Amino acid sequence: MAIGEPVPMLDSVARVSGTVPYAANLKLPDMLVGKVFRSSAPHALITRLDVSAAEQLPGVAAIVTAADFTGEDTPNLHFGSTIQDQPIIADDRVRFIGEPVALIAAESDGIADQAMDLIEMEYKELSAIFDAEAAMLPNAPTLHETFPQNIMRHAKLRHGDIEAGFAVADEIIEEIFTSPVAQQASLEPQVAIAQWKDNKLTIWTGSQSPYTVRSVLASIFGLEPETVRIIVPPLGGGFGGKGNIRTQPMAAALAWKVRGRPVKLVMTRAEEFLTVTKHAAKIKIKSGVKLDGTFTARKVTVYWNSGAYASSSAHLVQAGMLRTIGPYRIPAVHVDSYGIYTNLPIAAAYRGAMSSQGVFAHESHMDTIAHRLGVDPLELRKKNLLRTDNTFATGEPLSDVYFLDCLQAVVDGVGWHEPLPRRNGSVKKHGRGTAVMMKNTIANSSSECRIKLDSDGHVVVYISTVEMGQGGHTAMAQIAAEALGMPIEALSVSGPDTAKTPPDAQTAASRNTYMMGNAVLDAAASLRKQLAVAAAPILECPLEDLSVADGYVLVTSQPRERISYSEVLRTNNVTALTAMGKYTTNVGDLDPETGQGISTTHWHQGAGACEVEVDTKTGKVTVLRYHSAAFAGRVVNPMLAGLQNDGNVIYGLGAALLEEVAIDTGQITNPNFSDYMLPSFLDIPVELKNVSLEVEGSSFYGIGEMTLPPVAPAIANAIYDAVGVRIRDLPLTAERVLRAIQERTDHGQ
Amino acid sequence: MDNKTVTLHVNGQSHALEIPSGQILLETLREDLDLGGARGSCGIGMCGTCTVLLDGKAISSCLMLTIQVEGKHITTIEGLSQNGELHPVQQAYIDHGAFQCAYCTPGLILSTVALLNEHENPDDATIREYLSGNLCRCGSYVNILNAVRACRPVDDQSHSV
Repeated sequence: MAIGEPVPMLDSVARVSGTVPYAANLKLPDMLVGKVFRSSAPHALITRLDVSAAEQLPGVAAIVTAADFTGEDTPNLHFGSTIQDQPIIADDRVRFIGEPVALIAAESDGIADQAMDLIEMEYKELSAIFDAEAAMLPNAPTLHETFPQNIMRHAKLRHGDIEAGFAVADEIIEEIFTSPVAQQASLEPQVAIAQWKDNKLTIWTGSQSPYTVRSVLASIFGLEPETVRIIVPPLGGGFGGKGNIRTQPMAAALAWKVRGRPVKLVMTRAEEFLTVTKHAAKIKIKSGVKLDGTFTARKVTVYWNSGAYASSSAHLVQAGMLRTIGPYRIPAVHVDSYGIYTNLPIAAAYRGAMSSQGVFAHESHMDTIAHRLGVDPLELRKKNLLRTDNTFATGEPLSDVYFLDCLQAVVDGVGWHEPLPRRNGSVKKHGRGTAVMMKNTIANSSSECRIKLDSDGHVVVYISTVEMGQGGHTAMAQIAAEALGMPIEALSVSGPDTAKTPPDAQTAASRNTYMMGNAVLDAAASLRKQLAVAAAPILECPLEDLSVADGYVLVTSQPRERISYSEVLRTNNVTALTAMGKYTTNVGDLDPETGQGISTTHWHQGAGACEVEVDTKTGKVTVLRYHSAAFAGRVVNPMLAGLQNDGNVIYGLGAALLEEVAIDTGQITNPNFSDYMLPSFLDIPVELKNVSLEVEGSSFYGIGEMTLPPVAPAIANAIYDAVGVRIRDLPLTAERVLRAIQERTDHGQ
Repeated sequence: MDNKTVTLHVNGQSHALEIPSGQILLETLREDLDLGGARGSCGIGMCGTCTVLLDGKAISSCLMLTIQVEGKHITTIEGLSQNGELHPVQQAYIDHGAFQCAYCTPGLILSTVALLNEHENPDDATIREYLSGNLCRCGSYVNILNAVRACRPVDDQSHSV
């Protein structure tokens, strides 16, 4: 059967031949080059903006400024999928260094660069704020008048009697953890090509959210959604950074002004860092425990640095609230999760979104508690991990719970109880650590698909699932192939193209395999029924006595009485049959004051364990072995699943050990791959293994992120095991580890 | 900027091109010769997505001026397959699932070809070191290592660590 087979990606030959048609590679006739003129002040009023000299430069087709959005019948300057706070380009005020102020369309890169030099701008600087917690103080400068304290979202969870919980605790342990700004760093940059023709807008773009882009652009330009067409070729990586709305409104604004010719807007590597980042987070976590290791209470406060505009933060802050608690039985839980405006670039989803920061905190904290109580961190986890039929802090009962199985798989992998190498006199010390994650998925969303069967026996699956390297199209083809009883070679996948493929919320939050997979099953069931109905008169048999399997409609009691799909169509004189499928989930409305309710239809579950070597003379941490586990339910494609699990760990190693966007008073000082280091072949553990946990009769769940969030805390815990220092700030650099070792020595501990 | 006429030998074909003298090889390949397998990403020679072979050696085409390669032989990913048959390294990458988004893949495959030109039977440490200039953000490194091992003349697993 197609499901469960390690089928190579459908377009494998293109992938090894350099012919994948990324948006970055798209060339259209008469295409113009787009460029962005940006703010050099973190917070300022624009007192003068003069683009007249740039406009007159030969080869400049158009310059767009906020002035183009004043007057009647002009597009809306502001947009946002949740809060409409973001201008396409700055109005009269800039709120971060690098904010777009003017847009240029020119015949060539060189001319666009010359035009940039001719734009003149003057500012009146305002005081700026970069730290999220400080931005909430009464005297902090305000970014948006409607949010005077800069709190864009305050999500709350109130479960149980928190005071009583702490009152009965034998030990109360409180810690603070921080995660820095990071960057998604897809190797293919953000790209949008826009063309405005006959009052219709077409955009080719590397986006994880084609239908969100369509609705937001329709709203900006006052168009019917059907007159906006979004075409998404395969992405050269997404990782959340290409979700929501990114550069598409700027490309569209240029195309709107140019009228007719397409405009291609490609971010430079430095501009990538100005376009989207990962939320920096500060997490205060306090737990009450009994001496036997039972939890009595947990209080968490999270400050998410959301940058200058809301983008997707307003709802991510609620998701992040749930993801900082931890998969443990705790009778009383309070969480305050704040989304805060600061004068920094926009923060948004980053693979393992709003989980990595929280899991680093609660899993490091777990080990601190275990050491305080004098128990094995593994045993403390096993004692407290949520099990099926337990209740989570939202008050919702849990089903399909496999945290213990994930944890057991990874600790067995690294040989948790085996002796570690102890080399007397060596400066290199070994240690082991583990961590577990839980993450809700997007709870109220919908996926649709259309399947077309041709009379020549070919099937096309039309979906708006974005192929960004995860193999989503291949997985959907496998599911359709099995459901239709056809070989995978008979199937192809088309989309996303909003003119041709039906709506899907977005390809994010590890939702595609489950949501679109079930939509595909729905469409396939409908197609099988149509085939049976069409075959009944031919086989002269009542519908209820027919089966559909392996490319045939057959009489159930006499399987030799059968007719192929193609024959069914040809005999009925139809060239194609089409079926629609849909899958919708409808939970997620939590009480705004208490966070109580049903937050998700499925919990993403994963774990990691590792062995590290710490050089006590340099502080350098080398991860020698890493084992990861994700609960998958039913694996659609083990090869692609393994790539997701390993890819997550490697992505997580970057955030754990290397990646931090350095910012000096609002100015990013390392927006390049020389100073912002991504994991290379030399950074990965020599032993890197993963397991996708399957359960008989289960559905196929997403696994795009599960093994990522445990990476940083598993390593931090292993560092503690090796050298006895607790690092509470990411990344876990040699400098931080060495300083902690020296401070411990200085204090004579 | 002055234009220059250069003759390039790319994938076995000669091209006489008039290009700006400051143009980088990556741009000439992509824009003038329509070879999209070499890709821009970091722009400073750190990521390897723009890797091509220059007289058999892997180089970053974003760091090379086109006028510097006059008369030299360039191989891009488009020139690797012969008569419609994938190169063995390309096939090994498919067999071992050694890619995800594949933006980095042409560069990695060309670096692998260069590695195997220089080292007849590289061990794992040599493979890791040699390919460390080609970043894969999707993190397919384990599968890539397996693919490269399979390309050694004798796929001797005793080299594995």
